[in-house]
Amino acid sequence: MKKIETNLADLKKDIGAFYKPELHHFIVMNAVQTGEKMELQWFFSDYAFPCETTCFYALISPGEEVPSIKDIVASAWVAEAELVDLMNIKVESTAKGFVLEPDFESGPLLKKK
Amino acid sequence: MGRQYEIPVGAQHISLLEPLHFKFTTENERIVRTDANVYYVHRGIEQACCSKFKFRQVSFVVGRVCGLCSISHTTAYSQVAEKLLKIEIPKRAKYLRMLVIELDRIHSHLLCLSHVAENSGFEALFMKTMQYREFSMELLEAVCGNRIQYDFSIVGGVARDLKPETGQLILQRLKNFMPQLEELVGIYQHNWTLSLKNKGTGVLTREDAMRLNVVGPFARAAGLAVDVRNETEDLLPWKEVGFEMITDTAGDVHARNMIRLREIGVSIRLIRNIIDGLPESALLTETKAFPDGEATVRLEAPRGELFYYAKGNKTQVLERLKIKAPTFSNVAGMVHAFTGNEYGSAAAIIASYDPCLSCTAR
Repeated sequence: MKKIETNLADLKKDIGAFYKPELHHFIVMNAVQTGEKMELQWFFSDYAFPCETTCFYALISPGEEVPSIKDIVASAWVAEAELVDLMNIKVESTAKGFVLEPDFESGPLLKKK
Repeated sequence: MGRQYEIPVGAQHISLLEPLHFKFTTENERIVRTDANVYYVHRGIEQACCSKFKFRQVSFVVGRVCGLCSISHTTAYSQVAEKLLKIEIPKRAKYLRMLVIELDRIHSHLLCLSHVAENSGFEALFMKTMQYREFSMELLEAVCGNRIQYDFSIVGGVARDLKPETGQLILQRLKNFMPQLEELVGIYQHNWTLSLKNKGTGVLTREDAMRLNVVGPFARAAGLAVDVRNETEDLLPWKEVGFEMITDTAGDVHARNMIRLREIGVSIRLIRNIIDGLPESALLTETKAFPDGEATVRLEAPRGELFYYAKGNKTQVLERLKIKAPTFSNVAGMVHAFTGNEYGSAAAIIASYDPCLSCTAR
């Protein structure tokens, strides 16, 4: 797995420069709690052998809004909606209530303090 | 513009195997917009795997993510844990994992085909396909001890060996199944009423499959050559046992049926090659290490690419486990491919997606 560091300000620019629909396949987004910060990850794989997995990652603080990459990766809305529900992350123009019912307790996958 | 109607389908609906909700906006019986949500079966499995269970127990937990493709989950998790432990498993264990994955693919594909037939109004074909599927369930029971949720892959290898007589039983039952498979191919390919229902229905183009990152038979039926078995050799030697990718171009329900039927043929060939070339070795690599660092694994489940991410912290309990099921990747394509179709075809289209919500919501 190849990891590429980015930040929220450069996220769209970095992923936009990398992602080519005919070459890459968007896998999913993930979030990992690292102390006070959260490491957000965007996974891609190549279509051609040996199909290396590339991970863009950015550290975010609690309450920070993450830009959506829907305009670059059309299917990303599913992964973004999942993170909003399960990790209580704010994502640009993404409402809660896709993976969990709208009246759920936010962020069930967050570690209990 | 005609009058528009909103039609809810699910969470409980005769055409749905699992709780999934679609809201179709229709105009003159044609679907012009689809909304979906998947929020009925979240079970907190990822959280449980990182808090309640030790990393060696997790393969048994993720085997419960899905009844249909539990071998894919247990194998993908075992592989990602083995990466964190930095161990290589014996070659016989790799072959046995491939054997069960392919047996599982046969029963899963036949289940999907039977439901497409049923949702297309062809009850007799549903019965026939389910009847022919039974042999694969019996073989899985013979190999793994269970018909579903077989805890076959474990961290370091596999839990059971394949007895020579079981190998011979598999070969014999596959031989018996071949004429039945040919009969099914003939019906799904040529039956006139089924063709009327399925040809040109629920079309997803190759460009849309690529743009929406669709995976599995759904993508391959649209001409997108994506199959993890063709893309990775490091964890399971697919090409060594003769893997061959199948694609189509039509991208409709009929093409998805044919892809699955032809893939069953590929699975049979792979199983024969695996049994014929089964290497002699141990079944398990032992280690006392704890998982450390982070790793990812991709594996071709019956519905497409299954993805596991794990992060270890040198303790018995994982820091993070992330599961991405194939249906999760296909949600965007599923929603898109309804547009322009008649509402009456929605049931067959849904079945042809082969959605698995237990995997998706976890």
